[in-house]
Amino acid sequence: MSLLKKNYHSDRQKALKAGQKEGKFPLAVNRVRKEYLNGERIAVDDMSLNIREHEVTAMIGPSGCGKTTILRLMAGLEFPTRGNVESFGLPIDGPAPERGLVFQAYTSFPWLTVIENVQHGVAIQGYSKVEQRERAEHYLELVHLTDFANAYPDELSGGMKQRVAIARALAQDPNILLLDEPFGALDAQVTWEMEEMVVEICEDTDKTIVLVTHDIQEAIYLADRIIFFTRQPGRIKEDISMEFKKGRRFKKKEDLLTEPGYVEMEKHLYTLMREEIQGPLS
Amino acid sequence: MNKTLKTASSDNEHEGASELAPLFKPPREKFLSLRGTVNSTQSIFLGFIGVISLFAFWEISHHLTPEHQQKFLPSVTQVTSKLYYLFTEKGYIVDVAKSVYRIYLSFFVACLVAIPLGVLMGSFIKMRALFNPTVGGLRYLPAASFVPLLLVYLGPTDSAKMALLFLGCVFFLVALILDNIEAVPRALIESAQTMGASRFHIVFRVTFRSAAPQILDSMRNMIAVSWTYLVIAEIVAATDGIGAVMMRGARFLHVDVIMGGILTIGVLGVLTDVSFRIAAHFLFPHTRARR
Repeated sequence: MSLLKKNYHSDRQKALKAGQKEGKFPLAVNRVRKEYLNGERIAVDDMSLNIREHEVTAMIGPSGCGKTTILRLMAGLEFPTRGNVESFGLPIDGPAPERGLVFQAYTSFPWLTVIENVQHGVAIQGYSKVEQRERAEHYLELVHLTDFANAYPDELSGGMKQRVAIARALAQDPNILLLDEPFGALDAQVTWEMEEMVVEICEDTDKTIVLVTHDIQEAIYLADRIIFFTRQPGRIKEDISMEFKKGRRFKKKEDLLTEPGYVEMEKHLYTLMREEIQGPLS
Repeated sequence: MNKTLKTASSDNEHEGASELAPLFKPPREKFLSLRGTVNSTQSIFLGFIGVISLFAFWEISHHLTPEHQQKFLPSVTQVTSKLYYLFTEKGYIVDVAKSVYRIYLSFFVACLVAIPLGVLMGSFIKMRALFNPTVGGLRYLPAASFVPLLLVYLGPTDSAKMALLFLGCVFFLVALILDNIEAVPRALIESAQTMGASRFHIVFRVTFRSAAPQILDSMRNMIAVSWTYLVIAEIVAATDGIGAVMMRGARFLHVDVIMGGILTIGVLGVLTDVSFRIAAHFLFPHTRARR
């Protein structure tokens, strides 16, 4: 059984590589509509969106705008009602390690130590024991958790638990890293540290990242491009490129604040947010 | 601006930094402080007092009983000496061993059925739809109502007694384990899926593993129920076992024997409970910090 699964994976990997070479988008959302409760609630309507490689795309919008829904469709945890979602030209037919996901909820396995948690994800990919250990150690170092390798998740703070989740997702070597409000449950100071860590990771790995957030500053700080969603049903209100950053990443968040164009961008996003919060529900 | 900040902070600096502030003495905790704290010595001591009071109450009740009725409420010493007599002269240890054997074997078989069934039902909604109405219904049947049926099928055998013990707990065990499995957070399963884990892997290495401490807890609670069924199981055509000894005691109005039996079951129950807790301590080191 495991053999069959491996063949399926390697075939798929080859097809994905081919799609990547042809310049297909890592993720393409094509005219997607997602209904819940037999059409009573429309989370997302007729949405089309291409995620570009090596870019950090932030999806932002008011609560209930369908941004998490889109991310779950990208992960393959749910399927659209209409339209389709593709990765490098291949239809998404379920969750797969090539699309790693970090949840808002803590998802470290409590019965495994920190390093075992990261190793567990690697082990599923079929690496040898030595490689598992090496990869786990490497990614723990990347998220600054080497000193806590042998602790159990319950002994860690919320921020550390999320770092385990990020290390675990990176260790499975995904093409795309999906982050679903990963710092939503953390306090402001820890969130800030985590955001700067994500910038470091972007520098080190150059991953394609899709981030769902409701934090305007976070979106501006981390993203190369912000997709602003309307509320119920979710549609794209605006597709904003962070051109004022001129492709630079800022290791320190405060350095961004004095960057020309930053204040205007923040104000613009607040305006969009106000329109959505105050606007009538359609 | 910087200057004003500096002077403000220097106000808080101590002149003689070598001396520490005196230790703060918090108000003494009241015995009945809300929620409060208890250390292990206190906890053992208080538990001990509870047990002693129970036995004291028993002993005092015995002495308050009119003399001609005292044989219906024997004293603690009478019961313990009777137990000593039963162990040394009557081979009571064989009865105890027999009862323990019946409980553990029947419970083992019940787990063998309930754990896979509970895991299956908790992991796959269609399996739940298939089994739940049946198992849910069977839970409401009193195990004692199976006694006549078991007598017809199996006769006055060991199997009949163990079958009763099995029926007494298996359906509840399935329901509890189903709950334990369903309580595993969805995000845990989904994150395993995004790692590319197979369904087989998720059922055994994620859901079951995640629910395992709670499953052991359910088992600990259900084996207690098994103990409560013991006497009912051993009443029927009783030849050996704690229940049989107690029933024989009842026939000759030997209240001391009956109470000795109750005491034995109580002690064995506590030992079972403790052994489950010890097992949990060693099997699931990650839950230690939480307890």
